[in-house]
Amino acid sequence: MKDMISFLKDLTQLERKQYHPLVHEVHKKHNISKKTLFYIREYGPHSHVFRTIFKESIRILLFASVLSSIGGLAFENIKQIFISIIPLVILFPALNDMIGDYGGIISSKFSSMLHEGRIEGEKWWKNKDINTLFVQVLIISLITAVLSSVISLVISSFSSYSINTSIALKIFLISIIDVTLLVTSLFFIAIYAGMYFFKEHEDPNNFLIPITTSLADFGNMMLLSMLIVLFF
Amino acid sequence: MKIFDSVFKEILSSQVVSLIGGLIAGTILAIYTDKLLLIPGILILLPGFLEMRGNISGSFASRLSSGLFLGVIKPNKTTIKLLKGNFIASFLLAIVVSLALGLLAFLFNYFVFGVVIYKIITLALISGIIANAIEIPLTMFATFYLFKKGHDPNNIMVPFVTSTGDITSIVALLIGLVIV
Repeated sequence: MKDMISFLKDLTQLERKQYHPLVHEVHKKHNISKKTLFYIREYGPHSHVFRTIFKESIRILLFASVLSSIGGLAFENIKQIFISIIPLVILFPALNDMIGDYGGIISSKFSSMLHEGRIEGEKWWKNKDINTLFVQVLIISLITAVLSSVISLVISSFSSYSINTSIALKIFLISIIDVTLLVTSLFFIAIYAGMYFFKEHEDPNNFLIPITTSLADFGNMMLLSMLIVLFF
Repeated sequence: MKIFDSVFKEILSSQVVSLIGGLIAGTILAIYTDKLLLIPGILILLPGFLEMRGNISGSFASRLSSGLFLGVIKPNKTTIKLLKGNFIASFLLAIVVSLALGLLAFLFNYFVFGVVIYKIITLALISGIIANAIEIPLTMFATFYLFKKGHDPNNIMVPFVTSTGDITSIVALLIGLVIV
């Protein structure tokens, strides 16, 4: 017990960025999970919790803000058309959330597959688990796209906005094309980036989620503005 | 290939919850289009502003969940250093990011559209403070409540944060507009 406590105390003194064999040693010898050891090292009694969280998060949050603002710029350019289509205004936050969520789901699931050793060899497209994940996410994204389009059209019908078949069809097409293209692109990005980071002995979780969610939001706004210009 | 398994159901149900929140936020946005969307540069600010809530409160909920499972955070003790540090960091991150989003919207407005509107900076900052004053404590209490009830907050908090985050963000922008 004394031995373990001294090990844990040593762990809290380690440099945060530094990989240390002590983590592996304590994990093996005392059967303490690596997640617990990570937490002890990251937020131990000698660490400054506020500073650690702030320093680690601020860069990626600012990067995401810049990316979102550039995407928003594309939207600001077509503002007059956008605000005149009420179903799209209603649909916009839901569509943005959805695409970002799918980016996160694909990334975290694929990272877990890599860690569990379920992805072996270069021919990932023949892997059953990857194919299942792709089909599942694509089907769910199509269901939610159709569902959100229907609800936004129903809500719009209560306003003074007049809905006809042509507008309804355009709204359906915009949401379906948007989610299909983005989910497929995010899937390929997550796979290639995930395999790259895994080969470099990095945890794909730390890179894939911020990359895919930021790209999802950015891509969604760019693609949506292009589709709005194209259809309206 | 088994497609319609428990994973499929879990993802679908969490997405339906997230979708409902997004649609409520969109409806509020549509009702107040004349007040909110007519401000120059608001669409530059809006996507980042909506996303910020999920990014900050989502990570906050996830860190709290890990701490709760490891036993280093206790749901009945809100005074421990780890919890306080998390709370303050999340709030300060929200203020800095809101200010950055306001500045970016101002700069893009100025350089791309040639419009000078300082209001967008104060609007982003005030609305960011209001939204996070609601969202961060809400996230904390919801995570604690779910944990106490024996659920894994990780499975529920992400859709919860994105859906409530959208609504609080739009409402905060409207309140901010009244103040500014």
